[in-house]
Amino acid sequence: MQVTTAILTLLLTTAPFQEDAYRERRNAMVKQQIEKEGVRSPTVLAAMRSVQRHLFIPESMRSYAYSDRPVPIGYGQTISQPYIVAYMTQVIDPQPDFRVLEIGTGSGYQAAILAGMVKAVYTIEIVRPLGQSATERLQQLGYNNVSVKIDDGYHGWKEHAPFDAIVVTAATAYIPPPLLDQLRENGKMIIPVGSPFQTQWLMLVTKKDGKATTKRLLPVSFVPFTRK
Amino acid sequence: MRVLWSIGLLSAAIIAFQLALMQQLSIVQWYHFAYMVISVALLGFGSAGTVLSIFRKKLLTHLSSCLYWLMMGAGVSMALVTSIAQAPAIRFDSYLLFTDMRQAGLLLLSYLLFFIPFFLGALAIGLLFVAYADRIGKIYFANLAGSGIGGILALAGVSRLSPQQLTTVMAILPVLAAWLILPRRVIWVPAAIVIIGMKWMYPSPLVLSQYKDLSKTLLLPGSKITMEKNSPYGLIQTLTSPALRYAPGLSLTATNTATVQQAAFVNGDWFGVVLKPDTSFILNYTTFALPYVIAQRKEVLILRAGTGVDIQQARSKGAEHITAVEPNAAMLALLKNEWGDSISTHALEPRTFLSTGNEEYDLITLPIVGSFGGSAGLYALQEQFLLTREAFLEMWIKLHYTGAISVSAWMDYPLRNPLKLLATITDMLYAAGVADPREHIAAIRSWGTITFTVTRSPLATKEIARVRQFCTDMQFDPAILPGLQPAERAQYNQLEDTLFFHYIDRILSPDRNSFYDEYDFNIRPATDNQPYFSQFIKLSRLPRLANFFGKRSLPFFELGYLLVVATFVQISLLSFILIILPLFRKGWKSAALPGILVYFSGIGIGYMFVEIVLIQRCILYLGTPVYAAAAVITSLLTFSGIGSYVSSYFTRAQKRLQLVIGGIVGLLLCYAVVLSPVLQNTMHLPLPFKAFILLLLIAPLAFLMGIPFPAGLSYVATTEAAAVPWAWGVNGCLSVISTGLASIIAVELGFSWVMILAASAYGLVILPLLFASGQSSSRSGQTAVRRNVYRGHK
Repeated sequence: MQVTTAILTLLLTTAPFQEDAYRERRNAMVKQQIEKEGVRSPTVLAAMRSVQRHLFIPESMRSYAYSDRPVPIGYGQTISQPYIVAYMTQVIDPQPDFRVLEIGTGSGYQAAILAGMVKAVYTIEIVRPLGQSATERLQQLGYNNVSVKIDDGYHGWKEHAPFDAIVVTAATAYIPPPLLDQLRENGKMIIPVGSPFQTQWLMLVTKKDGKATTKRLLPVSFVPFTRK
Repeated sequence: MRVLWSIGLLSAAIIAFQLALMQQLSIVQWYHFAYMVISVALLGFGSAGTVLSIFRKKLLTHLSSCLYWLMMGAGVSMALVTSIAQAPAIRFDSYLLFTDMRQAGLLLLSYLLFFIPFFLGALAIGLLFVAYADRIGKIYFANLAGSGIGGILALAGVSRLSPQQLTTVMAILPVLAAWLILPRRVIWVPAAIVIIGMKWMYPSPLVLSQYKDLSKTLLLPGSKITMEKNSPYGLIQTLTSPALRYAPGLSLTATNTATVQQAAFVNGDWFGVVLKPDTSFILNYTTFALPYVIAQRKEVLILRAGTGVDIQQARSKGAEHITAVEPNAAMLALLKNEWGDSISTHALEPRTFLSTGNEEYDLITLPIVGSFGGSAGLYALQEQFLLTREAFLEMWIKLHYTGAISVSAWMDYPLRNPLKLLATITDMLYAAGVADPREHIAAIRSWGTITFTVTRSPLATKEIARVRQFCTDMQFDPAILPGLQPAERAQYNQLEDTLFFHYIDRILSPDRNSFYDEYDFNIRPATDNQPYFSQFIKLSRLPRLANFFGKRSLPFFELGYLLVVATFVQISLLSFILIILPLFRKGWKSAALPGILVYFSGIGIGYMFVEIVLIQRCILYLGTPVYAAAAVITSLLTFSGIGSYVSSYFTRAQKRLQLVIGGIVGLLLCYAVVLSPVLQNTMHLPLPFKAFILLLLIAPLAFLMGIPFPAGLSYVATTEAAAVPWAWGVNGCLSVISTGLASIIAVELGFSWVMILAASAYGLVILPLLFASGQSSSRSGQTAVRRNVYRGHK
């Protein structure tokens, strides 16, 4: 009994210290990996500082939570490296009245980053176990303006369309026409094109006068290109 | 006689196990782990040589017993290690090596597991070489013949059996070999057979990396595997899922995508799709439709038809006669099933098909170049004879006056595939006598793909107008078109910078060669002599690229080539340790050692260089890598075996051996010049004739090349018996190093140079022979003097 009490006491007293340590690492991550590489939006930087990235990563990989790299989350999926999340968020320039659609919930981290900056986030995950755990995690952490649907993201989420911005977090060989259709006029879609083990690039799709145009933004890969 | 059968069976099992292991790792991980298997085999043979050098006397004292247990161990471990390596606690995932340090430990563990059968088998072979050095010719013959048969068995086996089944079947051979060594100790044979039998009955399932294309596709809702088939090209699987769609680089004006009926995978990697016929119209919303926009195409030739997407597009565009060429027979069966007799199909390598017949076509199409998203780094060392200057010339000759060649590429980053493709096309047009290539090329770009259509006659004004209109309708951007204005090139799809257009203009200009030199990647046109289209790396520019993109990004450009270079360096270091270590241990100071080193290194390097060049040359000649490997390995090993069988005749006279080496050097230099023209001019002949020609070319060379190793080993056995295992080890290590080295030289300089260097390696072998011959004549001179002195005294 005494031992149990001692362990509980230890856990209770060390937990705040652990959280402090994570906060420190998060601040260092924002300063060294994000701000330094050119992401300047104060709202994006604030979101990156506040969302506890380590809670979106499996226990066994948690030590890599704030490292400058993507981290495996199972089912052949990864949580993008911090800089890419921040960069993609900055590109769509989220506003408080925005409704944003995310394709590829994964761990739910990108949705959590967006949640503090916009009115509503709608996110779709095709891999059921990932979608279920992301739903639970986001609920537990209190992200109440995030709705998760387990479905084929190709079709978008027609009931909540049009969207001010669409963030696609899974690489694809085509831009799904239904998503373009659900993008509001002057809206922005950011989408990575490519596949793992290959060079990928982030592409911005904008819609003006009903016509879409594309612009390649940033070459990325499983390991980022730090272009000097 | 029993010993000969025994070594033959064991050698066959080792080669077959190696091929089956490569196949297993290609399925569960990626094909570049073939290099790991080669290095594990080397480690096994090298370590066996070292152990043999150190414990030679002890092992020879208990020869039969040692051989028996080594062979038993090799057999049982062959059956078990492939299953143990699949256990959850041991299985590694190469993709996670980048993020999880534990994976490095698991990789090492797998490495050590695979090492066991190679080490045990190699130690048994080495022990036989040492014990029967006086009959080395026959022993070596059995070793070569067994290896050759093992290779053929494995090639035949992979078409019908899974790698797990194949390793199980092959595991029986070393057990039989052990029984032949000690027939009276039969008791353990059934026990070993039972263990191997259990593996056959309860095979462990192959667990693919979660990052393989198939693993990810299986996560899609409603996905299920509809067909599984082992083939010489690997494990072929087809899958269905309602969530699978296909529309590479689809126009942003499209309102739908094509629904996939079936997706095909080879060794768990994405191969292609069969589209639902009613949705294949969507292909007309991709840049691939360009040749059909320019003109109507009735006679269409589709090279490497794969799963038939190009056939569907040609049919939807009204093509009347479609000829599909696909070397993979299993895929072709899929096509036949889909299309029946409405198309003409040929199970041939496209180059073999192009070299025969006089038909002409309105359109010849090739599959999309560069894997999805860019880098084809993993395939950097794969010969791509369809993308060489000579291949495009053959296609050009087969076009009607109004015909066209069409090929697409993914827009990669950094730019490589589209630039090299354009460079190859431009080179071909100049070689075909076209004065201004710009008049013959139309290229259009979507957000992800670029399609080049090369027309036999200059593009007409109305054709140019149709291309412009198509671009406007689809929101594509023209990249090359006669009369194109700079402002037209990036209206809808902007690039990160406009250098791409500058590059393509330079490739089309007369100073293109200086641009190839300046560019950081190798984008010179691929040729039949250097058919490595996807090899873009310039080793001299690596530091510059590392500085520009970051060191960690380099593997993502050219993983395949860097892996070979890294493996070569690693194996070379390992070999150095394995060769030098016994020297220190034994404290040898013999003057013969440098000679032994040069002799056995030279024949090791020379033999492997010749084997690799012949296989690579024959891929184009015979049509498939499987035929090429089977034909070359069988004929080379068989005739070398005959050579080794008669080698004792040459052991007795140094002069004869010098003549043999001279003959090899002469033949190789001759082949460096005449091999290509002979093969080129007979490529159109039927397969049996080509096989016969090949036999005539290989037989005399292989016969001579089979002599130096046993003759040399026999000589060492009589002059420096303790050095026999070391000489064997040197030869083995250098042979394996040469596999990587030959690939690197072929990439950097071309096949002809590999052949010339093989001749040089054999040429070097003459030096120690001359030295030994001088020593032996000096020794016999001294003996004669002593004899005369004795006689004088007498």
